[in-house]
Amino acid sequence: MANLLWLQGGACSGNTMSFLNAEEPSACDLVTDFGINVLWQPSLGLELGEDVKAILKKCISGEIPLDIFVFEGTVIDAPNGTGEWNRFCGRPMREWVKELSEAAQFVVAIGDCATWGGIPATAPNPSDSKGLQFLKREKGGALGAGFTSKAGLPVINIPGCPAHPDWVTQILVAVATGRAGDLTLDEFQRPKTFFSSFTQTGCTRNMHFAYKVSSTAFGQRKGCLFYDLGCRGPMTHSPCNRILWNRVSSKTRAGMPCLGCTEPEFPFFDLAPGTVFKTQTMMGVPKDLPAGVDKKGYVKLTAAAKGAAPAWAEEDIFVV
Amino acid sequence: MAEDSAGPDDDTLREAIARRLAGGLETEVWPRAESSEMVSEIIARLRSEATGDLGRKLVIAGFTDHTVEANGLEQPCETCMYYLVHRRFCELPELMLPVEAGWSCRLWRI
Repeated sequence: MANLLWLQGGACSGNTMSFLNAEEPSACDLVTDFGINVLWQPSLGLELGEDVKAILKKCISGEIPLDIFVFEGTVIDAPNGTGEWNRFCGRPMREWVKELSEAAQFVVAIGDCATWGGIPATAPNPSDSKGLQFLKREKGGALGAGFTSKAGLPVINIPGCPAHPDWVTQILVAVATGRAGDLTLDEFQRPKTFFSSFTQTGCTRNMHFAYKVSSTAFGQRKGCLFYDLGCRGPMTHSPCNRILWNRVSSKTRAGMPCLGCTEPEFPFFDLAPGTVFKTQTMMGVPKDLPAGVDKKGYVKLTAAAKGAAPAWAEEDIFVV
Repeated sequence: MAEDSAGPDDDTLREAIARRLAGGLETEVWPRAESSEMVSEIIARLRSEATGDLGRKLVIAGFTDHTVEANGLEQPCETCMYYLVHRRFCELPELMLPVEAGWSCRLWRI
């Protein structure tokens, strides 16, 4: 039996909604098959007010062993570093977060807000939001760069806006069943099993990417979304085209550009007008190139690939 | 002339464009669209000033019947992301014109 506590800070509840849609395993499977005891969760917990507070205090004191502390949403420091804009059970949420993180065997941040600040931390970041151990790319966050939980791991970051439900439940199962040692984390503390490959890996538009044929409108089946519509699939670490959403699709399969929501900079360019769904260019060349590709190589490859493109690559074929 | 549609009229329209360019049509070749902001400005002008007007499209987009080099890069239609190789066609939604591989415009992007 592993006790799990889930709290929300500066959040839209999107990751909770995502979690409740998990299938492999499902949220119910966590309880019935994998021995996870959900002490409290904002959308599932039965307790209110003082009863919730009592659970939190018992977790901090050790009366209830806290195996997994899950946090969704940003840690809010405003106004003036007090955290008073996000009070919970009688005091700033950030104080609960710090004490519960110190008491927990494992700490898991779910979604962009909890991992690196996400949309609430977009400049000018009025709520003074940060993630548990990062603010965008900068390590530190609410718990500090050197934080490790009782089990010796830093915060396990599962980013996304929202995170895919099965990324969440599969990591929780790994931790709850004693296989946390199998997890390897990347430089942003994301489990490598999910975040080593790119969103582009498995994308059905890869042949259009290869021959440099561009989509020019949302929903087109023809063309790659990277060249004109701002798709970040070639630069974003996620398995969105390997572990499909609702088991059937992904943004790019549906003709919608990847927004790069598993990367610390999301939302990119601070949502400045003209930057969303539009590939940013400099001298006609994309500012952000596919990971590991330099400008010179990109230009050479593109010219060669375009010259070799077969006719079918320019047609609106069925690719979903 | 259905200049915004593809098909058998492409060759006729392409020849017409070639004649205009060869005849000395002065287009806005410079400055090239060096930043995304400049691209947006030119696109906005195409939408507001050139819908259904072939001549204005050619002028605002800065078409030439030869390849222009800018910032050390040659910018022919044939390497542009909006160019359909087999149809010899520019698929930028605000242009949608038959072109030649060796032509150029200031909205070129790779």
